Amino acid sequence: MTSIVKSIIASFQAFPIDPFLLAVLAILIPGVIIFLIMAVNALIAVYFERKVSAFMQDRLGPMEVGLFGFKGGKKFWGGIGQTFADAIKLLSKEDIIPQDADKFLMIMAPFIIFTGAFLTFVGLPMSDSLVISNFNIGIFYIIAMSSVGVIGIILAGWSSNNKWSLYGAMRAAAQMISYEIPIALSLILVVLVSGHLDIHGIVQWQADNRWFILHSPFASLGFVIYFISVVAETNRTPFDIPEAESELVAGWMTEYSGFRWALFFLSEYANMLIVAFVASIVFLGGWLSPFQLIDLPFIDIFPESWLVLDGTVFGIFWLFIKAVILIFCMMWFRWTFPRLRVDQLMYVCWKIFIPFALANVILVSIWELIF
Amino acid sequence: MSEYFIEIVNGVKTFLTGMKMTLQHYNNKEELVATLQYPHEKWPIPERNIGFENSEYNLIRSRLHVDIDDCIGCLQCEKVCPVDCIKIDTIKPPKGTDVDFGITSLDTQKKMLVTRFTIDMAECMYCNLCAYPCPEECIYMVGGPNEHKHEIDYEFSQYKRDGLIYEFADPTEDQLAEVGGESYVESRQSQKQKLEDGSNLEGVVEEEKKAVVVEDSKGSVKKEEDTGLTLAIFNDVGDKPARGIAKKAFQAAKRANMNFDAMADYVNGAINDSGKSSPEMTAAINVIRNFKDESVTINTPVKVSAESSSETPEFLEMASTNFDIKILNGIEDKMSRGIAKKAFTSAKRENLDANGKIDFIKKTLNEADKMTDEIDSLISTFAVSDVPPAVVAPEKEVEVEAEAELFDIKLLNDIDNKMARGSAKKVYMAGKRGNKSSSIVLTQIREVLNKAEMMNDDIDGLLKGIG
Ligand code: SF4
Ligand code: SF4
Repeated sequence: MTSIVKSIIASFQAFPIDPFLLAVLAILIPGVIIFLIMAVNALIAVYFERKVSAFMQDRLGPMEVGLFGFKGGKKFWGGIGQTFADAIKLLSKEDIIPQDADKFLMIMAPFIIFTGAFLTFVGLPMSDSLVISNFNIGIFYIIAMSSVGVIGIILAGWSSNNKWSLYGAMRAAAQMISYEIPIALSLILVVLVSGHLDIHGIVQWQADNRWFILHSPFASLGFVIYFISVVAETNRTPFDIPEAESELVAGWMTEYSGFRWALFFLSEYANMLIVAFVASIVFLGGWLSPFQLIDLPFIDIFPESWLVLDGTVFGIFWLFIKAVILIFCMMWFRWTFPRLRVDQLMYVCWKIFIPFALANVILVSIWELIF
Repeated sequence: MSEYFIEIVNGVKTFLTGMKMTLQHYNNKEELVATLQYPHEKWPIPERNIGFENSEYNLIRSRLHVDIDDCIGCLQCEKVCPVDCIKIDTIKPPKGTDVDFGITSLDTQKKMLVTRFTIDMAECMYCNLCAYPCPEECIYMVGGPNEHKHEIDYEFSQYKRDGLIYEFADPTEDQLAEVGGESYVESRQSQKQKLEDGSNLEGVVEEEKKAVVVEDSKGSVKKEEDTGLTLAIFNDVGDKPARGIAKKAFQAAKRANMNFDAMADYVNGAINDSGKSSPEMTAAINVIRNFKDESVTINTPVKVSAESSSETPEFLEMASTNFDIKILNGIEDKMSRGIAKKAFTSAKRENLDANGKIDFIKKTLNEADKMTDEIDSLISTFAVSDVPPAVVAPEKEVEVEAEAELFDIKLLNDIDNKMARGSAKKVYMAGKRGNKSSSIVLTQIREVLNKAEMMNDDIDGLLKGIG
């Protein structure tokens, strides 16, 4: 199983190159790629979110800023340049650190959060053999890395020396740690069934059998639990109590501005993309074409892979389509439901999701034994 | 335990209901979106019904607009405005001239030219009171019931307050020349120039200032005169009106750049005209004459013209200012007068000097077959090389001064007899309109009163006192 890092090293082997320099290149090139993915994702996702929210609330959203003279149509492409303008504005803003804040921690916090999101991408495949580095414990690595962010959040809240920030950070920590459990319990199902921690192995199992969400009713339930839990994990409405505007100003981000705030923002949307990727890889067949699911009568006439549009390049397409649909659902949640109270949030997690997820693990195991 | 499951089921149900609801809104965006893209799309302002028919009372509160082509300059709107934010100036053509201003859309003959129609919308309180009395229905709030006349405009915010001053009248120079509004053209131009200079102001530039000083010391005769000879010479004169007349005449003569001799003659003439000569006055006039004698070595205007007749630019300039459009009023034939005046204004616009103007006027008249010996001799008099400007000026200045000199009508209030007072005032008004001087008006009043046999010693004394 190849990976991007491996192919970089392989392609530079032909030149007489210092091994140290080679290592630097092998780190730098994937790093830039990941950063680009995160940045572009944030730009597009913010625009997408603003438009989706606007339409759900009978508004129009951004409609004024065009891009390179292109000033889109009436509805969806109306303000296509808005997020670029916002990004430029954000980067040129004054960077304020409160006088009584713990300066070192305050500067560190956004980078820790960003690092958590950044590192997750290392083990996350974009398509068949299109992964920065291929772990044999990929799914475990992703779960572990996506929890790094909570340290940064607590640091940010604590160092700001602001009661809203600290409240926000406490809530975030409680929430994120709680929801790790149902997430892990749902992901364990696929490991249980396929026998792989390695992401390529999981997708291969789905290619050989069927999408994991269709494996059994319990697997479907596992998907629902996973999906709702990751919405909470990414602190999105209706689970956005850590930054509840009406209660906590902006939660743990209250004292941040300019570039540091932009890093939070970038990580938030990167996390959305990550969880959507993981959900599609683990439950929805990853980069597999949905046409494989349908048993077309004339399927034998054409070479199979040609008809179902499979392969590395189409894999990217399918994975992104699935992720985008899931992201749309997350936005859909956000603009539909009111925010939960803290106790309701904990109730949902500890009294509903965890018992169901635990039961799920047992039931899926039994299902595997029987069938 | 069953409660727990019921709660979960309920939760899922409401969850789905909510999702369905927002999805419906998302899918129905074409119909449901309520946003109005404000600067691109606008709501009309609703017309308000105050209990009257909108067709009768064009009531809407938006921006005022004036269809200036329909305005007859009746000043009704200016008078009625409670906050005085409308200012109107009009020019009537002088008596005897026959200018057609056209008719309004309500078939009223217009009788004057509206030269200024300013509305300060920053002051306006949108009471609509100005719209009601207008006989021509040409001042109104835009939009609403007046939509067919002018489209709605309820957004005219400005960065500076003076941007809210709307000027509706903008007469062309030709129009103004027709009604004899040359002084208006000039004041308008100088105002424009001032504004332009003001907006180009970038603090004081040292070098330029110096250059101006050098120029001044080189050749400006006027400057020396200013320092040498002042109005103070008349301060010895005891008679107040006489002093006033003398001072005015002196100023006028100075403006015309006369030499001291001509100046003395001119002042003397003015004094004699009004019958106010006195020993002190004669002394003062002599001071002017003597002043010339003392300063004869310095550049006097006479000397300038003698030494360097036409090449001195200053001299030419002088001449060109003296060749005034009013001179053309001496042309008898109405048509040729109009043509000559038009030619004069366009020549002026091209900054031609006096000779150039004269040539241009002659040429235009020739082309129109309107040239007569009379006109030729009239305008040729002013050609620079023929006559020194000093001779030209007095005639013109006398006229101007006489115009300004007309006494106050209130003085006539002292006439006891009501009838006599009325007739006197009538004559006065006629005289004022005709730009007559005080003495002429007074003699006319006398004539009229004598004819009506209303003259008595009291009135005679009063009139003498005025004159
Ligand atoms: S609307 Fe009223 S305040 Fe405004 S200009 Fe007319 S009369 Fe004056
Ligand atoms: S009332 Fe009408 S016609 Fe009279 S001055 Fe005003 S706008 Fe002109």
